[in-house]
Amino acid sequence: MEHSSNTVVLQVTGLHVNYGSFHAVDNVSFDVRAGEIFGLLGPNGAGKTSTLSAIEGLLQPQSGTITVAGYNVKEKPLHARANLGVQLQATNFQPELTVAEILQLYAGIHGVPLTKEKLQDILINIKLEDAAKKRFGQLSGGQQQRVSLIIAMIHNPQLVLLDEPTTGLDPQSRRQLWERMEGMRAGNHALLLTTHSMEEAEAVCDRIAIIDHGRIIAIDTPQVLIDKHRDDPEVVLVSRKGKITLEDVFIGLTGRAVRS
Amino acid sequence: MTTTIIPSNKAVLSSLLRADFITQWRNRRSVILILLIPVVITLAWKSMINNPIFGGPFVLANGITIGLNAIGLMGYSNAVARDRDKGIFQRLRVAPLTAWSIMASRLIVQLAMVMAVTLGVFIVGHYGDGVTLNPAGYATSFAMAFIGGAVYLGLGQAIVGFIKNAETVNAVSRLVYFVFIMVGMFAGLGAMGDKMKEIAKWSPYGAVQHILAAGMRPEIWNHQTTMILLVTVGYAIVFSALGIKWFRWSSK
Repeated sequence: MEHSSNTVVLQVTGLHVNYGSFHAVDNVSFDVRAGEIFGLLGPNGAGKTSTLSAIEGLLQPQSGTITVAGYNVKEKPLHARANLGVQLQATNFQPELTVAEILQLYAGIHGVPLTKEKLQDILINIKLEDAAKKRFGQLSGGQQQRVSLIIAMIHNPQLVLLDEPTTGLDPQSRRQLWERMEGMRAGNHALLLTTHSMEEAEAVCDRIAIIDHGRIIAIDTPQVLIDKHRDDPEVVLVSRKGKITLEDVFIGLTGRAVRS
Repeated sequence: MTTTIIPSNKAVLSSLLRADFITQWRNRRSVILILLIPVVITLAWKSMINNPIFGGPFVLANGITIGLNAIGLMGYSNAVARDRDKGIFQRLRVAPLTAWSIMASRLIVQLAMVMAVTLGVFIVGHYGDGVTLNPAGYATSFAMAFIGGAVYLGLGQAIVGFIKNAETVNAVSRLVYFVFIMVGMFAGLGAMGDKMKEIAKWSPYGAVQHILAAGMRPEIWNHQTTMILLVTVGYAIVFSALGIKWFRWSSK
């Protein structure tokens, strides 16, 4: 990594995404810096996935600019994606391929030479040294997540997008993943994380943005957000333990109504 | 800004092809079915080879056409629908590669299947049915098989473009496969009357079968065969254009 810890790796400015007349993302702006874990939090349908999809280049925003490692996603999509590592929500590798074959595929796509020794090192690193010949579909949820994460990192990207990476994981696997994310931060990677777990956001994120109805309604460090909103009547009202948590702030700001 | 390396198209395509060929190979049951049915039908129709109305090329062309149907309608469309449903395409699309390279790799694998089916029928035709063509006949037939393959791959693409749900794609493609083969084969034999026989000749099934049979004997190629070839190319273009226009990378 050649960039310093203050370098802006992801810059989103004035992003608008519409589906017909529905404004999924409405004038969203934020940045993520090298060596930072940035959390994007929001209820279902708030605009998180649309924002992520626009950054990944999977959908064309109506307006706004996105740059990854200095490359405009619209003008230089391949360059932007070459600096981007992505872990999507769903299982998304051919179930017929083995772990080793999936690693070889994505190394090849990213132009990363993958010797047998390097492949073995990667498998040892993710504690799957005995699973090289196992098919992806035969792995447990935690093992699949580890494979998915290592593939997101196989080309040493400046920016890593993690879309609800700990969903469905047991506490041990979740802690292990947090440690890996912290290791990536220590390696000066920029991480953009979406999650529904406030505990996770509080534990690993340096800054978070709360998005609701397509707009960012708060952006800061978890502690500053808690301090800033601890006396808000809506936040106090939803507090359950006498101590204001990030979850209280989140529900206070986004409302108690369940979203579809 | 750091230096960014974009892998060459050749490197990307070779990685994709390796994975797609492995995936195809691991789906051996489907591959065997695609290869076996044309071979079995070619052997089963041995009695028609000496019939002056049909002959060897008709039997071989029929076997190859059934195989091409299966490749486009059963193999390709279902594989694309499944991978779209599982988000495999979306995962590939966030990597630094072009969309065309993803599909080009898939299509190259299917064209290899077209070659395998054609070759399989020729081998069985030669050893099992005693039908041997001259070198020009084999070469022209391979060319016609690729054109015929394009018709059914285009049709498979149109189905997977029009229908998002993988299970519905599976059901519809099986139905179309069945209807094409039943109507094409039996109407082509004249079992449904002369009018249906004429209609079947210009249908995607009949047209492909006709150009294949004519390709096996290039010396008797005539104006009507050229017209049917043009219609076949037209089918391929229309189905592919619709398939590309309607296709969405995500089923959501």
